[in-house]
Amino acid sequence: MNERAEAAPATSRRHFLDLLLGASFLGWLISIAYPIIRYLKPLPQTGPTGPAHLTRDETSKLEQNKFVIVPVSGQRVLVLQAGDQLHAFSAKCTHEGCTVTFLPGQSVIWCPCHDGRFDLNGRVLSGPPPRPLTQYLAQRQTDGAIVISEEKAQG
Amino acid sequence: MQSSFLKKKPKVNGAEESQGVRGWLDRRYQLTPLVEFLRHKEVPIGSHWMGWYYLGGITMFFFVVQVVTGVLLLMYYQPGEATAYESIRFLTTKVPFGWLIRSIHSWSAHLMIISLTLHMFSTMMLKAYRPPREMTWVSGYMLFLLTLGFGFSGYLLPWNKLAYFATTVGTNIVKSVPLLGDWLLQVLRGGQDVTINTLYRFFAAHVVILPLGFVGIIALHLLLIQRQGMAPPVGATIAPRGMKFFPSFALRDALLWLACLMALATLAVFLPYGPGIPGMDWELGEKADPLAPAYPGIKPEWYFLWEYQLLKEFPPHLFGLEGPQVCLLLIGVLFGIWAIIPWLDRRAYHDKPSPAFSDFGWAAILFLTYLTLMGWDIGARGISDELAAMHNVARVCASWTLVVGALVIVVRYWKFGGRWFILSGAALLQVALHGLAGVSYLLSGVIAVAVAAIAIAISYMTNSRTDAGDAK
Repeated sequence: MNERAEAAPATSRRHFLDLLLGASFLGWLISIAYPIIRYLKPLPQTGPTGPAHLTRDETSKLEQNKFVIVPVSGQRVLVLQAGDQLHAFSAKCTHEGCTVTFLPGQSVIWCPCHDGRFDLNGRVLSGPPPRPLTQYLAQRQTDGAIVISEEKAQG
Repeated sequence: MQSSFLKKKPKVNGAEESQGVRGWLDRRYQLTPLVEFLRHKEVPIGSHWMGWYYLGGITMFFFVVQVVTGVLLLMYYQPGEATAYESIRFLTTKVPFGWLIRSIHSWSAHLMIISLTLHMFSTMMLKAYRPPREMTWVSGYMLFLLTLGFGFSGYLLPWNKLAYFATTVGTNIVKSVPLLGDWLLQVLRGGQDVTINTLYRFFAAHVVILPLGFVGIIALHLLLIQRQGMAPPVGATIAPRGMKFFPSFALRDALLWLACLMALATLAVFLPYGPGIPGMDWELGEKADPLAPAYPGIKPEWYFLWEYQLLKEFPPHLFGLEGPQVCLLLIGVLFGIWAIIPWLDRRAYHDKPSPAFSDFGWAAILFLTYLTLMGWDIGARGISDELAAMHNVARVCASWTLVVGALVIVVRYWKFGGRWFILSGAALLQVALHGLAGVSYLLSGVIAVAVAAIAIAISYMTNSRTDAGDAK
């Protein structure tokens, strides 16, 4: 009777110590994993933000090919010329992120990777892309310089 | 102080102990039991072709070639924005035999994937995964995934245009993973987009992380095989005859490896940039440029073509999810089923023939064949209209797949007495509906799965009725 009464606290003490050991082991694991996880996640991209002016090189490419891809706030942006109108869209296809291209003959933005097609408002015409391309604002200033900015709302 | 160990007399238990180097090693490491084990080791000679037993060894041989040539390539390769592409160009144009080393590395990679796939399908068809060898299957499956990882990560390292877009698409797929998707994508790419940071990460994975994992798992895989021996044919409790592993099987292995090396050298010398099949060539091409648009004909390596084609067949939206997400889910389910086959196949579990799972293997092969052929655009040549070309590709690829499927069924019926064709039949039904009748790929898939489910239910009910009848 007496023995049994003594055995109970011993088991619970052992149990408590096991719990403590388990918890410290878990804490130890987290203290190792956390820095590694933080280390692997890349820093946010830095670079120029805000409206981008097309360089002379980029403008001549635009005139020659009717489109050019330029970086705007760290994003690839397709600037294209259809007739007199300038358009700008995110160049990243909404399907699997390939870089799209402009087919001036068909007035279509085309992603060659999985054959996705968009019209000149960025809307999906055919193929697997699930969303329209994000629009950017492309403006020709009075001095002829072309400025691309993120201001234009989608659609 | 001299230990008693070194003074030990050369007689143990009355048996003469071996002298020389062997004795020296034996006294220290007790090699005799190991040698005895190897001496008695046998490979079962069963009812099936012995060739299947060599495929694992051949795959390992190609892996060794990859390690050797990979280390050699490392001596010149410099990861970096201004150096990665340039160092490969220097290696292939200026370094004596640099082209050869790179060519062997590329050829061996493709041949390794071919032999690994054959090895995997042959163990699957022969049900070598049944108890007690489930973990051999699982470890082999992990090696298969790692090999695909090797192929995918190595592809980016030359930093050319093709690799850039293939990696963009390939990594973008992880975005569909629920909750963790964005984090995974960033960790994989080292940023939001594929940049030179991605190359650094892929380089680390390709030359350190994956090889370490691979060597560890291959050690386990080999240990399991040595410990349990190769799987005898289904139903044979004791193999009727055996071939001595040493020297008979090992010498055959070595001879085959020599043949593989000769084949590899011949291919690497005469076709240094691959056979020119899309997805199987490694011409360096143009340097990657994140500001250049993708160009027509971008395709992944041939062993990823089926996934590429499947991505194309999914509509933009399905069940309230985006098409690529559903596609990834389907691929995940298929890979998951493949991993746990040893536990799904209940008949093989009890060492009984399981024709349904052989048929499942064939259905998988036909499913992959059709998608891969379509990914290759077979039948598109000479047709300018894209829609017409797409229909013709589906038609031509479907015809080929149906011919292959019909041949497989006939051979299985006559030669191997196969009588269970529901799943391969369903795979062919999907191919016919999509390619010949013009039904959409997914709808024809759903119809095929439904027909297969009904057929299996009917065959199950008839079987249990016959079983009950037999019992009476």
